[in-house]
Amino acid sequence: MTLPLRDRIEADAVLTDLYLDALLAAQARRATDVPSSTDLDPTIRFAAGRLSSDLARVHPSFRFEERLAARLAEVASRMRLAAAAGGGDMPALADSGVDPALDPAFAPGLDPAADPEGSHLARPLLIGGALTSAALSLAGAAYVAWRRTHPAVPPMARAVRAVAQARLTQGGRPRGLA
Amino acid sequence: MARPVFGKVNARQEAGRSRVAHLDRDRTLVEAAQRNPSAFEPLYRRYLAQVYSYAYYELGDHHDAEDATERTFLLALTHLGRFEERARPADGAGASTFRVWLFRIARNVVSNQRRTLRRHPEAPLDAVAVMPDPLDVERRAVEREDAAAAWSAVGRLPADRRRALVLRFVDEMTTAEIAGVLGRSENAVRVLIHRALRSVARDLTGSRRGEGSPGEEGRPA
Repeated sequence: MTLPLRDRIEADAVLTDLYLDALLAAQARRATDVPSSTDLDPTIRFAAGRLSSDLARVHPSFRFEERLAARLAEVASRMRLAAAAGGGDMPALADSGVDPALDPAFAPGLDPAADPEGSHLARPLLIGGALTSAALSLAGAAYVAWRRTHPAVPPMARAVRAVAQARLTQGGRPRGLA
Repeated sequence: MARPVFGKVNARQEAGRSRVAHLDRDRTLVEAAQRNPSAFEPLYRRYLAQVYSYAYYELGDHHDAEDATERTFLLALTHLGRFEERARPADGAGASTFRVWLFRIARNVVSNQRRTLRRHPEAPLDAVAVMPDPLDVERRAVEREDAAAAWSAVGRLPADRRRALVLRFVDEMTTAEIAGVLGRSENAVRVLIHRALRSVARDLTGSRRGEGSPGEEGRPA
């Protein structure tokens, strides 16, 4: 029985897939014997063999690896600080060039135009600090204004007033005075 | 249709998840990093070379690959809280949906970078090539030529076929994982790779024939 072309291609693709699984597994365990499949097209076997040996995994430089590790650690510590300070969700990286709408891996609502990873992480702290200092400034200004309209009473005047009040309420010496 | 690797979670998926979640080999590391971002480093070290290789084979330049790798990991770190595992029994024992998620980020970063650079990979192969051994220069030269020919053949493929081959051979992903990264069905990925291998075989045997016997010179590759 002959399969229709589409089914034949799909059947061949399954054979190829199984062969690749075996080939890559053999390489991973450094086996010298290469799996053979008589059903598989020899040209596919040839190409797979060539690519498995010639397409090497490329490693970045040690310097780059350590530099990026340090940067990630720095960002991670900022994230922890932001979380500890009650900073909400993790922000997007503006300089990443990634449009979150392109990928469902990113939840909707991320702002691609947000600040790069540094500044926004400190923003909750900055906003809190600014609010605090602004509130202090307002309170200070109000206190100064109140003091101007309510000048301080000299200590002697306060003492005279206290004595007079004690005499009125107790009919004699103020309480606490010998 | 592509399986819903990162779709919305419905009740049925939620119920199934508790049964299959142990399949994700990165689960412990991911959960640790989600609790404490400083614990992201083991994941970074595990996948650095894979992400970098993918970016390098796509962009064809070390500096561009470094940029793409850096952005990919920064995005992964800052968005890790949003990652949700979707492992299935069919994905196999070594499956990692975190790896699929990471490579989807990488794919987006690389696509965006390529759009910005308006550049196609030129396969400089300076990293793939090995340092010549003075005792075996001839063999090394042949190996280097072979590697260059293989990469040229891959580089001439359409983008989706090239990407699938790089993920399969360089990053050693399963068909299910590649389907998750590329957003296609596993069947479509199998056919994509099968056709890509046919094209590469034609290209390689054609170029070999061209280099080989003088009588075959001039035959189209």
